[in-house]
Amino acid sequence: MNQRTRIQLDHLFTAATGASILLLLLVLIAVLGPMVYRGSGAVFFSGTVEFRKMQRDLFERADQPALDAEIAETEKVRQAVYEMIDGFKKDMDVEGMSSQVRQIYREFGEELRQKDVPAEQYTKLRELTRGIRDKLEAAFQSQDVNEISRTVDEVLQYADDPRLKDTSAAKLFEIARNFLQAAQRTDLAKHHEYAAGLQEVERILFHSDGLPGLLGPRPNEPLPLLVMLRYGATRWDQAQKLLDRFLWVEQWVQTEPGRPLKMQRTPRADLFPESFRPLFTYVEQNAGGMLNPISTVYWQFFKDDNANSHYFGGIGPEILGTMLITVVGMLFVIPLGVISAAYLVECASDGWVIRIIRMGINTLAGVPSIVFGLFGLAFFVLFLFPLLGFEPRPCILAASMTLAVLTLPVMIRASEEAIRAVPQSYKEGSLALGASRFHTFTAVILPAALPGILTGVILSLSRIAGETAPILFTGAVSLGAVPDSIFDPTRTLSYGSYDMAVGDRLAMMVPHNQYGMVVTLVMLILILNGITIVLRWRVFKKLRGQ
Amino acid sequence: MFVAKTYSMPEKKDNMQITVPHRMSRKSQVQTVVPTNHRWQTDTRAVNDTEEQAIIRSQNFSLHYGSKVGVKNITMDIYPHSVTAIIGPSGCGKSTFLRSINRMNDLIPHVHTEGRLEVVGQNIYDKRTNLVNLRQEVGMVFQRPNPFPKSIFDNAAYGPHLQGIRRKDELQYIVEQSLRAAALWDEVKDDLKKSALALSGGQQQRLCIARALATKPRVLLMDEPCSALDPIATGRIEDLMGQLQSTYTIVIVTHNMQQAARVSERAAFFCLGELIEYDRTSKIFSNPGKKGTEDYVTGRFG
Amino acid sequence: MNNANVTLTLAPAADTCRPLALTPTENLKGYLGAHLGRGLLFFITFSSVLAVLLILVFVVVRSGAFFSTSSIVEFLAGRDWRPTAQEPVFGALAIIVGSLYVSFAALAFAVPLGITAAVFLSDIVSWKIRNIVKPFVEILAAIPSVAYGFFAVLVLAPWMQKHFGFSTGTNALNASLILAVMALPTIVSVAEDAISAMGRELREASYSCGATRFETIIKVVIPAAHSGIIAAIVLGMMRAIGETMVVWMASGNATQIPHPWWDLSQSIRTMTATIAGEMGEAPEASLHRSALFAIGVLLLVLTLGMNVISEYFLASAKKASGKT
Repeated sequence: MNQRTRIQLDHLFTAATGASILLLLLVLIAVLGPMVYRGSGAVFFSGTVEFRKMQRDLFERADQPALDAEIAETEKVRQAVYEMIDGFKKDMDVEGMSSQVRQIYREFGEELRQKDVPAEQYTKLRELTRGIRDKLEAAFQSQDVNEISRTVDEVLQYADDPRLKDTSAAKLFEIARNFLQAAQRTDLAKHHEYAAGLQEVERILFHSDGLPGLLGPRPNEPLPLLVMLRYGATRWDQAQKLLDRFLWVEQWVQTEPGRPLKMQRTPRADLFPESFRPLFTYVEQNAGGMLNPISTVYWQFFKDDNANSHYFGGIGPEILGTMLITVVGMLFVIPLGVISAAYLVECASDGWVIRIIRMGINTLAGVPSIVFGLFGLAFFVLFLFPLLGFEPRPCILAASMTLAVLTLPVMIRASEEAIRAVPQSYKEGSLALGASRFHTFTAVILPAALPGILTGVILSLSRIAGETAPILFTGAVSLGAVPDSIFDPTRTLSYGSYDMAVGDRLAMMVPHNQYGMVVTLVMLILILNGITIVLRWRVFKKLRGQ
Repeated sequence: MFVAKTYSMPEKKDNMQITVPHRMSRKSQVQTVVPTNHRWQTDTRAVNDTEEQAIIRSQNFSLHYGSKVGVKNITMDIYPHSVTAIIGPSGCGKSTFLRSINRMNDLIPHVHTEGRLEVVGQNIYDKRTNLVNLRQEVGMVFQRPNPFPKSIFDNAAYGPHLQGIRRKDELQYIVEQSLRAAALWDEVKDDLKKSALALSGGQQQRLCIARALATKPRVLLMDEPCSALDPIATGRIEDLMGQLQSTYTIVIVTHNMQQAARVSERAAFFCLGELIEYDRTSKIFSNPGKKGTEDYVTGRFG
Repeated sequence: MNNANVTLTLAPAADTCRPLALTPTENLKGYLGAHLGRGLLFFITFSSVLAVLLILVFVVVRSGAFFSTSSIVEFLAGRDWRPTAQEPVFGALAIIVGSLYVSFAALAFAVPLGITAAVFLSDIVSWKIRNIVKPFVEILAAIPSVAYGFFAVLVLAPWMQKHFGFSTGTNALNASLILAVMALPTIVSVAEDAISAMGRELREASYSCGATRFETIIKVVIPAAHSGIIAAIVLGMMRAIGETMVVWMASGNATQIPHPWWDLSQSIRTMTATIAGEMGEAPEASLHRSALFAIGVLLLVLTLGMNVISEYFLASAKKASGKT
């Protein structure tokens, strides 16, 4: 091919290689970006008054007087909502009215007996009220406004009856009048639909069996057992979602036969009579007033335990668990790794023993992490612990030891390279001054090899903190108390992230906590890496004489 | 025949003159630089070598690495408070022999020795040699300055620290004395905590000398100490050798004949692992006994 | 400077010299100390070998119950894996194929990208830029596998489902892509080392013949570094096959062999995910658990085999660069 083509190919190739590295960097951003963005929502968000209530109750942190004032204010705004709902309910509550009417009939009968009314009058009045009661009950069941109107008018004829006035029976007429008004206001034919719709509205606003509501339980209601149902939307973004569900009904409809279903949104207000619709506009406009969202920085996310399976709270114990396992693991792997490297460089002579050791190290490096988990379970937990008198159960110690064996090859390789790189002249100089080989190693060679050893520390640390498979059977649990000692199992960021990612619907409801956990893990590892890199740079400069 | 050309060694090292010999042809005249005020000319003490008790005695000493020969059948005595130079072409075993004196060759794998090598009466190749004490009695300065990546103070205090001296004031005293002895004190006294690697090449080598002196050795071995240094630094160190000679015994390996002639009283000529000739420097350079020696010092080979 | 006085303070003691001979006790102490010390160091260093042996022993022993009662042929060739059925069937073929399937697919994505990236770092950019870019590649390696799995399940799977119309977002394609990203840093690192180690002389010889950089790299450098590059690929493959969390979360865990073999949108199951997923259900000392250990043995055999292969190629790469 001619010169020009060759040169073009060359440029193309250069561009391709550049593009590949760019792609790598883009992948890095694509993976980390969304996760960091969503995870930051665990700490930075707009918290509502419900959030502050929850913090006061579960974590005992609140500015009491200010919070009380805030609660009072939000309740004021919510009052209208309660009233509107109660009002509508009353209108709809035929059963209630029925039982009320029956109750009044009984009370009236009781009253008559107490007053010692003569038998004849007693029977007459009872019959009268019974008649009223039956008429009203029939009216309650009726769907026809006119029929109701007639019945109520009939009933109200007796309103001024002196025998019934000023007695408990008088209430019957009040009920009748209210009922007439309600019947005129609402379309009784749709009464069942309204009842169902109202139930749904209450579920969304207050709470349902499995999901929390926008405002949380009403002030005088008994508290639900599940903690997460006791509060309304604690975050403004959550509130927005609930608000949307409140205002709109979503349905899958078949617009054309044979084609996939489409989503249709209709305003929920349309499901209710005119009299009830103001509720929706009120809630939409006053959501802020009812919840009082304020920008919050929930840094205690890193400190708090979680509540209700990570619905509320933070990841403190998980962070603690990860750090414990990492520290204990490093305590095992650093000495083992450095000493092994020292032996390989200083003492080992060429021979089959050294070849076997090297083969062993390389083999260890190739074993998959899940097999380490199996090994940790079979050897440390089930064999070694009983041998040493410990209980054969998964714990931090077992997990750390398993992880230490996993990262041993990394540490050995990095340390060996570092120790070999130390100039032989240092060793000679030290020996020539009468130092023993041990003293030479610890006082001269080891400090000079420190930057390389720190590289090994960085790599080991990242693996120990991040690995999940080896600790699945050896020390990690998804629920459990904060460990008291290294003989207890623990929750960790790594296992917790897995749990949250494949967990049930509950975890999906709190994406900020899901992402928060995994982002904390990644950030923790990157920060530990960063610290060690800075440390290594400083030691390196010092060794150079700057 | 040689023509001696004199030059003066001034007090200040900055404007020192050195004459470099020309090699015009095999039989040409070679100008050797011979200072007039060098010790061996004025020093009467070291003339009578049969009365001196040798501090280092080698008797048929040989050293092999595996199958390769390091040195063969070396027999020579080194006398105290003198400067002995070991000269010869590269690869002739000079450094090997020097490093044998403080058993630094033990670091090389597959090394074995024959014969005796006595230091202060003790055969140091006996299995029961106290290597720590030996190396503190016989100090070494290497070809390339190798200060540890620590501070100047820590470098100089390394030896005494090994000897068990831990008190700060004692260490400080010894460090100061050794830095003064190495003629480095004035340059570094303001900041002893500075890293040793920040010093210049010549200063580093003087620090290495100070470090070696801090253990109060009897013998100072110097393996081509100036080969990595510039002429001015070289001159300073040669001066230092002159000053140290009265207290220590110095054995120096050098490939620079003029340096050997400048600093030493006795010189040993090695070639291909064997000791060819060992005698007073004046004799080696003016009237060598062996043909090989003459060929070397006249520049016919090497 | 009156150095004469000074040197006297540092002078060795005039009459007595430090004892140059060891007393018998000193000798004994030294001897013991040195040999005990060496022994201790040796033992500690040997612990790595010990660990490997223990791993082999314990995993193999625990799988013994399974291998002694069931046929290996059925294990390796049977397609049905039903450990919890009335009559348990342990046919791991689909699972084995699943592991190999995602690993090869991952390599198909990662190898071209990785090698071009390695070439970029070794030949195209200056040392300074390389030292700035390399840490970012290393960050990719530092991200824990569970974070990748998280991304695969919660971000990539829904995206895939929406944009490609798959029936499920957790499938072979998802797992392969993420495994490729995880194997990349290894491949880039080892390949870049191998390519850089070829030295300037090789490249100069090619350039002096008038070749362009593209031609030099493709025709001269990469063939010369082929051992190291193959080692990089094998190491990447080891990483992919041994990975657990990502495949457990993202592959769909369906014990099936994809029907048109190229259909990556189907869910598969890997050996690692099987172990991780079923370990909790298998009671201690049951046949099921033993079968899981048997899968572990299989994994070990595979990865150790690849280890040996990569060692061989790395060694020959060293020899090649030693010569040039």
